[in-house]
Amino acid sequence: MKKLMMTAALLGTAGIAGAQSRSSVNAPPPPPPPPPHVATQPPAPAADMQAVLDAHMSLQPKPIETLSPLRARLQPSAADATRKVMRTRGLSTAPDPAVTTQDLPYGSDPMQYARIYKPVAAANAGTPLPVVVYYHGGGWVIADVNVYDAVPRLLSKQLNAIVVSVEYRHAPEAKFPAQHDDAAAAYRWTLQNAASWGGNPAKIALAGESAGGNLAVATAIHARDNGLTAPLHILSVYPIANSDMNLPSRRDSANAKPLNTAMLAWFGHYYTTSMADMQDPRINLVKANLRGLPPTTIVNAQIDPLRSDGETLAAAMRAAGDKVEQRTFPGVTHEMFGMGSVVRGAYDANMYAIQRLKAAFGTR
Amino acid sequence: MKTLFTAAALAATALAAPALAQVQTPAEYVATAGASDLYEITSSRVVLETTQDARIREFAQMMIDHHTKSTADVKAAASRSRVRPAPPQLNPTQAELVTELRAETGAARDKAYIAQQKASHNQALAVQKAYATEGTAPALKAAAGQIVSVVQSHIQMLMAM
Repeated sequence: MKKLMMTAALLGTAGIAGAQSRSSVNAPPPPPPPPPHVATQPPAPAADMQAVLDAHMSLQPKPIETLSPLRARLQPSAADATRKVMRTRGLSTAPDPAVTTQDLPYGSDPMQYARIYKPVAAANAGTPLPVVVYYHGGGWVIADVNVYDAVPRLLSKQLNAIVVSVEYRHAPEAKFPAQHDDAAAAYRWTLQNAASWGGNPAKIALAGESAGGNLAVATAIHARDNGLTAPLHILSVYPIANSDMNLPSRRDSANAKPLNTAMLAWFGHYYTTSMADMQDPRINLVKANLRGLPPTTIVNAQIDPLRSDGETLAAAMRAAGDKVEQRTFPGVTHEMFGMGSVVRGAYDANMYAIQRLKAAFGTR
Repeated sequence: MKTLFTAAALAATALAAPALAQVQTPAEYVATAGASDLYEITSSRVVLETTQDARIREFAQMMIDHHTKSTADVKAAASRSRVRPAPPQLNPTQAELVTELRAETGAARDKAYIAQQKASHNQALAVQKAYATEGTAPALKAAAGQIVSVVQSHIQMLMAM
């Protein structure tokens, strides 16, 4: 009961402000969370992680949870901060030329397109490449394939694979389950078209970060239930997976950066139509039927309100009989997975995930 | 228990009542659009200093022309809406992006420019669409509506780059 009320308070205006205004990018944010959330201080990040957080602050971000979706979409991202640190260290911030990209539509909405990453080295190789379908983060409200360029580019190069980075319709213009529908449609489209890009559709994996980490698992469930080719592996990086707002990480990382607990409520305020959506097994993955899913790697960051989501999802998948490995990397925060070039803990997480995917593809 | 329920309901009602939408104010819209145009023009000039790619040269020149025009259109609409626009200024992220572009040379600068263009045009479209839909100053709202289709055509071109 207490949990339900908490959700009610956090989700705020559901059903009161009216569906019309809530689907606008100018719709106001939900009320701030109750005071207990404001007291806790998260553990200190490692020095190299702190350098990225400092660079982020230097770009003067406003707190997302106080903004309309439009204003939130104009704020500096963790990727902006990472590039600033790279530049100040004399590293190039230009896209790695070892990988080429092509944007292709998979649906009729302008947001329904994918960026196909392909390693240059493989351009004339005869053997079809493994394929990774990747979903970006941003709580289904902010960010896009441009913001999340680092990880799909890295995976393409390191795995010598085709990576399909999926754009999808965003909330609040398109609410849940539009993002899950698009994720599934893009997976289906990839199975049908991978061969024409030099990929092997039988050798496919699902991956994603944050909201995209949720989509990776939810799409594997969709594939199982609809008789689609099953992915060989799921890489789910700090997924949204558990709607219990009293999880340990919701409290110990309530004031973490760049993601805090208030932002999770803010995202929910915009991507749900009603509070019942939060209990849908596609969002609350820990309560989904998880039986018979492919081997899975779950990557978490210690300083992240979503840490417990990954940890509880791993436990739920194990209980369902799936093969799961889950690791929580210390001293790093949410969004770290795109910071491997400047943050050691992130590099370690990248290498761990790459090794797991290589093993799944049977490549070295 | 009951009081908590009431508190939640009150909080929700209090929020819903005053602010149905948080549309950008006319001055905020003019400043945001102006900064976006200035970033487009500045970054396009930087790539034109070095690019050897005819397609990028043509695109960058078009960006300078189109975004100079949209700045002028918004300025004219602003005066009809009795908003006096301050000279446009890059925000800290846009200034950082220009610095990053200057730090690159040759083909790397070309690639960085295209990557930046894809990201910044999605943001520009969000700003123009939001104001064209719900903006409060009629002349500015009409200008935003005109600019939406221009930005969409740029995004179409960038899809192929």
